[in-house]
Amino acid sequence: MINSIILSYTTFIYFLAFFLYLLFMVMGRAGFGRLATLVTLLGLIAQSFAIVFRWIESYQLGIGHAPFSNLYESLIFFTWTIIFLYMIVEWRTKNRTLGTFVTPLAFLAMAYASFSPGISSKIQPLVPALKSNWLISHVITCFFGYAAFGLSFALSLMYLLKQRDTPLRQNLFLRLIPGQAILDELNYQMIVIGFLMLTLGIITGSVWAHSAWGSYWSWDPKETWSLITWLIYASIIHSRLVRGWRGKRIVFLSFIGFCCVLFTYFGVNYLAGLHSYAK
Amino acid sequence: MNRGSDVGFFVCPYPIFDTRTGSGFDPEPVLLHMPMKRQSPKGRPNIVWAFFSSVKLTVALLIILATASVVGTLIPQTEGVAQFAQGLSPAMLKLFVTLDLFDVYHSLWFRILLGALTANIVICSLDRFPGTWKRFTSRPKPDREKPFQDLAEEQTFVIHHPPADVTERVHDYLADKYRKPRAREVGTERYFYGEKGGYSLFGVYLVHMSVLCILVGGLVGSFLGFEAYVNIVEGQTIDTVVSRKERTPIKLGFGVRCDNFTVDFYENGAPKEYRAEVTFMVDGKRAKQETLLVNHPATFKGVTFYQSNYGTVPGNAVHLSISQQGKAPISMQVEPKTPYPLPGGEGTFSIVDLRSNIMDIGPAAMVSVHPEDGEEINFWIFEYRDRAKKILPGPMLNSPKFNASAYGPYTFVLTGLETRYYTGLQANKDPGVSIVWMGCFFMVIGLFVTFFTFHRRVWVRVSDQGQDLVVSVAGTSSKNPVGLERELNTLARSLEKLLHKDPRI
Repeated sequence: MINSIILSYTTFIYFLAFFLYLLFMVMGRAGFGRLATLVTLLGLIAQSFAIVFRWIESYQLGIGHAPFSNLYESLIFFTWTIIFLYMIVEWRTKNRTLGTFVTPLAFLAMAYASFSPGISSKIQPLVPALKSNWLISHVITCFFGYAAFGLSFALSLMYLLKQRDTPLRQNLFLRLIPGQAILDELNYQMIVIGFLMLTLGIITGSVWAHSAWGSYWSWDPKETWSLITWLIYASIIHSRLVRGWRGKRIVFLSFIGFCCVLFTYFGVNYLAGLHSYAK
Repeated sequence: MNRGSDVGFFVCPYPIFDTRTGSGFDPEPVLLHMPMKRQSPKGRPNIVWAFFSSVKLTVALLIILATASVVGTLIPQTEGVAQFAQGLSPAMLKLFVTLDLFDVYHSLWFRILLGALTANIVICSLDRFPGTWKRFTSRPKPDREKPFQDLAEEQTFVIHHPPADVTERVHDYLADKYRKPRAREVGTERYFYGEKGGYSLFGVYLVHMSVLCILVGGLVGSFLGFEAYVNIVEGQTIDTVVSRKERTPIKLGFGVRCDNFTVDFYENGAPKEYRAEVTFMVDGKRAKQETLLVNHPATFKGVTFYQSNYGTVPGNAVHLSISQQGKAPISMQVEPKTPYPLPGGEGTFSIVDLRSNIMDIGPAAMVSVHPEDGEEINFWIFEYRDRAKKILPGPMLNSPKFNASAYGPYTFVLTGLETRYYTGLQANKDPGVSIVWMGCFFMVIGLFVTFFTFHRRVWVRVSDQGQDLVVSVAGTSSKNPVGLERELNTLARSLEKLLHKDPRI
């Protein structure tokens, strides 16, 4: 199982990346930042290969399917999307400070997938309900949504930290964080991307549910929680675009939104429902 | 701060309430939803209208709906209600039942919330649409000065030996790239105007109409459709299904026959595929044949059939072996409820009860022996006797009810039981589905238009300053100032190139 070996190394690569981003922000040396980017990129490439290998391996086992079929595989893919999205943001903003806040999320998700005793890394055959072409589009759209909301959460944290930065205070870490206006703007962009992706994820899920379960909407806990998340982010977008809310209020709502995302992802496993294979 | 590098690197849009301006921002309000006036279209202030046209109400409703949905996931809704209710005090139980907390999503108050959201969306859209329309159709003067205040350096350039046809060139260029081109000459200055992406102003209406479309689709489905189920044994034909909610039979108007059902397993024992071959029958004639798999339903006359579960029932053939001490056992195949003579002719026996799986032991049959003289004797026989010995308690095994040799000298052995599968089908009719899909489609298109397209207006000013021409480019955008800046720079560079080019050379 070459893929699992690569994936467990990736966990440490992301931890190293986090450490380097942190060093960069504490010491203020650009060299550490560049190295951190390089390490993160290495992790992303290794992980991409591992996902492809896993896909190929499942075909060699005769149970070929996209590696999105259980909690282990979904955590791996969640990490991949969040790092992928972060790399694009870093490239476009030319700013590395967000890395310090995003790589821990990736590391934690990978560590949970690799080391939690309840999660099996074995490639399992697909149950009949998952045998559908909608699996890939549903999982990809949902997880890009989750990842964008994850970045929005990290940006919200940065916003609150930046508030403690005053000209009198000689704190390098805080000074390196971009200005609040930029964070606010970026946060909003992530929410928009996440919202669009979540919408697509819910729609693809509905179309799939319609052919698998006979109903496009059956108030299954996961469905309901994805709707709750959608409603929260919809209210953030409305309060910003129409009521002109900015800054702390958006940060606060974004925290609530991300809690809903986490509950949609993990929490509903504790409630009975049709999405039981994602446990 | 350098605006270009940090913000807006993504393709999205944001109205920034910012006074750093220059090229970037529309002097008019940049809200997506511009409230025109807080009154009804007739011009009379109206409390109801004002209430429902408020976006505060929208945000409040979204949050209330979210909270209600949370409640619905924490309180058991259909399964486990009885168990949950036992743990409640009578007063609490009464409260829960009165508030419909065991069926939140179909309760009257939840529907009222959805109705309020619908009213909110409709009134908000009606309230704001005239403003948007005015903005879409407006033709701003080409010679506005305001956009040209505080221009960035890159947006102005000088042409030293201008060609004679500057006006035509600029006008033609704008007419080619933008809509509604206009030009005006004021003194020594020539002004040009163009805009694009006006349709992006309507994206937000498309999104909101799509929400209504989805709600209407759901409503149509709940009034005109049904959700039902039916079990069909292999070989059997049914023409009625049972509604899931009311448990009442629904006549289909056609027949469904299950021709064959198979289930495949993976090596590890997990189910791989359920496959039901069905034939739809109209007036006793075969009309259509379909294979139903999970994720692969079939629709006939507006009713969609989904493979949802399966089970087994005993068939019509029972394989027995009757042994007698000192003689070779006799094997025979019998049908249930039919008397057969005993091998020695002392009477008859029949199989009176059949189970395909009893107490997890496997197939079992009840044999009833009718001797010519004496009482009738009934006892159970099992196909897997070893398993029966493990599972059944000792006293039970020793009772005559479970003694296969209860009628001596014969010992009855069940060697096989033909079982037949039944397929459990979900049968749904939902005429609202296509409306819902249409709503989903519009929602995605609408969100794209709203967030990723922009209404941009550009102005070009050409001033004669002796031998030279000074050209300035300015613009406004409803969203995404950084994208606008990029566009204005491109425009400036293109015009510079265009005006340097001398047709005589």
